[in-house]
Amino acid sequence: MDAFDGLLHGFAIALTAQNLVAAFLGALAGTLVGVLPGLGPLGGIALILPITYSFDPTTGLIAMAGIFYGAMYGGSTTAILINVPGEAASAITCLDGYQLTRRGRAGAALTIVAAGSFVGGTVAVLGIMWLSPAVSRAALLFGPPEYFAMLLGGLLIFSRVSGGTLAAGLFPMAVGLLLATVGQEAVTGEQRFIFGINELSPGFTLVAVVIGLFAVAEMMHLVATREQQVAPVSVRLADMMPTREEWRRSVAPMLRGTLVGFVMGALPGPPSAMSSFASYRLEQAVARHRRELGTGAIEGVAGPETANNAAATATLIPLLAMGIPFGAITALMLSSLMIHGITPGPLLMRNYPDLFWGLVASMYIGNVMLVILNVPLVGVWVSLLRVPQYIFLPMIVLLTVIGAYSVNNSMLDVWLLPLIGCVGYVLNKLGFRLAPMVIGLVLGPLVEKHLREALILSGGDLGTFWSSPVAVATWAVVAVVLCLGFLLRPREVAADD
Amino acid sequence: MKTLTRRQFGLAAAAFAGAAASPLAQAAGYPERDITFINPWSPGGSTDAIVRQYAKQMEKVLGGSIVVQNLTGASGTLGVGTVVRARPDGYTIGYAGNGTLVYQPMVMKGLAWSRPDDLQPIAKLNSMPTLLAVRGDSPVRTWTDFVAQLRSRPGQVRVGVAGLRTSADLEMQQVNMAAHLRMRIVPFTGGSGESVLALLGGRVEAMAGYTDGLRGHVDAGAMRIVAVFQKGRYEPFPDASPVGDQPDFTSATLLPACNYVIGPRGMPPDVLDRLVTGSRQVVTSEEFKAFAQRGGLVLDPMAPDEVRSELLRVAGTYERLIRFLHPDKA
Repeated sequence: MDAFDGLLHGFAIALTAQNLVAAFLGALAGTLVGVLPGLGPLGGIALILPITYSFDPTTGLIAMAGIFYGAMYGGSTTAILINVPGEAASAITCLDGYQLTRRGRAGAALTIVAAGSFVGGTVAVLGIMWLSPAVSRAALLFGPPEYFAMLLGGLLIFSRVSGGTLAAGLFPMAVGLLLATVGQEAVTGEQRFIFGINELSPGFTLVAVVIGLFAVAEMMHLVATREQQVAPVSVRLADMMPTREEWRRSVAPMLRGTLVGFVMGALPGPPSAMSSFASYRLEQAVARHRRELGTGAIEGVAGPETANNAAATATLIPLLAMGIPFGAITALMLSSLMIHGITPGPLLMRNYPDLFWGLVASMYIGNVMLVILNVPLVGVWVSLLRVPQYIFLPMIVLLTVIGAYSVNNSMLDVWLLPLIGCVGYVLNKLGFRLAPMVIGLVLGPLVEKHLREALILSGGDLGTFWSSPVAVATWAVVAVVLCLGFLLRPREVAADD
Repeated sequence: MKTLTRRQFGLAAAAFAGAAASPLAQAAGYPERDITFINPWSPGGSTDAIVRQYAKQMEKVLGGSIVVQNLTGASGTLGVGTVVRARPDGYTIGYAGNGTLVYQPMVMKGLAWSRPDDLQPIAKLNSMPTLLAVRGDSPVRTWTDFVAQLRSRPGQVRVGVAGLRTSADLEMQQVNMAAHLRMRIVPFTGGSGESVLALLGGRVEAMAGYTDGLRGHVDAGAMRIVAVFQKGRYEPFPDASPVGDQPDFTSATLLPACNYVIGPRGMPPDVLDRLVTGSRQVVTSEEFKAFAQRGGLVLDPMAPDEVRSELLRVAGTYERLIRFLHPDKA
């Protein structure tokens, strides 16, 4: 079955009443869990998993995929409005999104996000249709040495992601790396730095740290400076729509974001958070208005939010083309297939064409639904900002506490919030940047794991890190990006300070 | 947020209504409220599928709801510890594998249990024999070929497993010990998916895993199952050499991943009886058999006492293995 026939067949399946409802409910539930900080697509999918067992597998999968990409639409809402990233991937959106809100452009930013998410989502579906087999063959070229090169490079490159001096980025990143060493070590299972607290064994919960670092620290800042959090907001339709200039500046970042997100998502190694960071870094390097990044540039929202949607969609490729889940979310989807007796593997597409093409077609439909759903909602979200600060701040505190608790049902994560919040507040006061700390925490364990796996595979021979063409190419790209970063630096620093 | 919870509640209620209305529902005292079933592993993967299937059928048998809760962390010991420490009223039970029940207490301090007597086995759900897979284009076709390869290149043949001291890793270490072989066991940390990629990408010569993660690749011709670590033919892969029948290996050296239902010690006898007979009814049902066959699971129903003695037997094997792996600690 070629792609076009397959797609037509898929639409025939996706357009049945039952599957349309599944796509819509999935997308709606996804938007809601995305908007709530802490509760992410993983929690949402885990909640509906038992329900999907009683439907046919295609319907269940359509609903779960809907939650997954729906959450990417909603995930940035709180990041932009109140500086609370819904998940690690949206941490970078806070930088410019929140600045836009302070300038009264919250509505425009949210509309751009909806549009970017649509572009990223639908273009990535095209990629799934045509490139799945090729992409999964390419993924086999990447093993531990290649991922090590890529992630270590990412660590260095992204430490400068939010500008400032070299130390302002490197120091928080190092703190993030240190935090990442807490808990059960991945290769030997040895417990590190948990001091007898078994709850620390999985390590610091990423969501709790991210919320503490951004949201709690920001609220402390607001209270300390007695600053009104945003410019007076109006919710007239005219203010919801981005200006022609904003649209024009968003097009190129969206296209670049789609490409970056698709590649990062399809590779089984890097986490999806890396895609939005990579897109932001790319904008810093190539966008025409790059000097405005960090002060409320629309590119800083359009690129990363498009990238994380493209990445979310592309992570389905390893699952659909090879039957290998590379994240908790795709593992859940796999589990729902297995309970129906469907063995995932390279033959999934051939043996279960209804499932594959039905899902692909439903993602087109779901993305259209999401845009229709999200654009009118922008007004609703923005009007929340008119709530007076003395009600608003306690409300957000409550929301962050629920969010942190809901990830693992652990009180430890709740206590972590004020603690990390204080760290974030102090670091911020001292002029350090917080985003690199998230990068250190996300990538640290992965860098370590791939380093050790590579060395076990090679029997301790360090040569393995440059023994394959892909690894050498990766190092070369990293070196070039780093050198360019330093060469371009003087001008940017001048603009920065 | 409100809409979400209300709808979820509605859907969940609708899903459970079917179970409650079933003719098998009984009016006996137990269960009067929801039973919490703790799965110490994350949602997704083969464990979760087994647990959900069991819970689904058990709801019908008991005539009450079972809420599956995934309480993960610390190699499954957090979830199992919660079950062991729970109030023994039959409303908190859970899932546990032999690795978590027997191996972890030997290497971790401060757990709520140390021997099989510290908890109440309810049923044995299934076992899964370990499989040895090579790439589809590999010249290795049988266990004898594989051993010959190991002997000609000692310490050079790499075998991927889904993590250090996971069931597959222990099985391979066990083989190294029993047959004086030297395969280089590579623990991948991202679950079995990573070792699958490594095998397909030619970074390891073989991998040890289980039916659910391998069958798709075997069907596609990308992999071949060379050996199965059990006695007798394994139906899903009839061509695989049964290692348990080889002269060097006795059944005592085989370590299949076994899955049990457990509860805290000291449950009221009538409640325990409902759980034990109900579980047996589920495990021996045609529906469960069909489910097991699809997933390549081996069913071996056992009463609580039989589970205890099986766990004790496994403990002996693990002790020998730990002495082999860490001669300094013994």
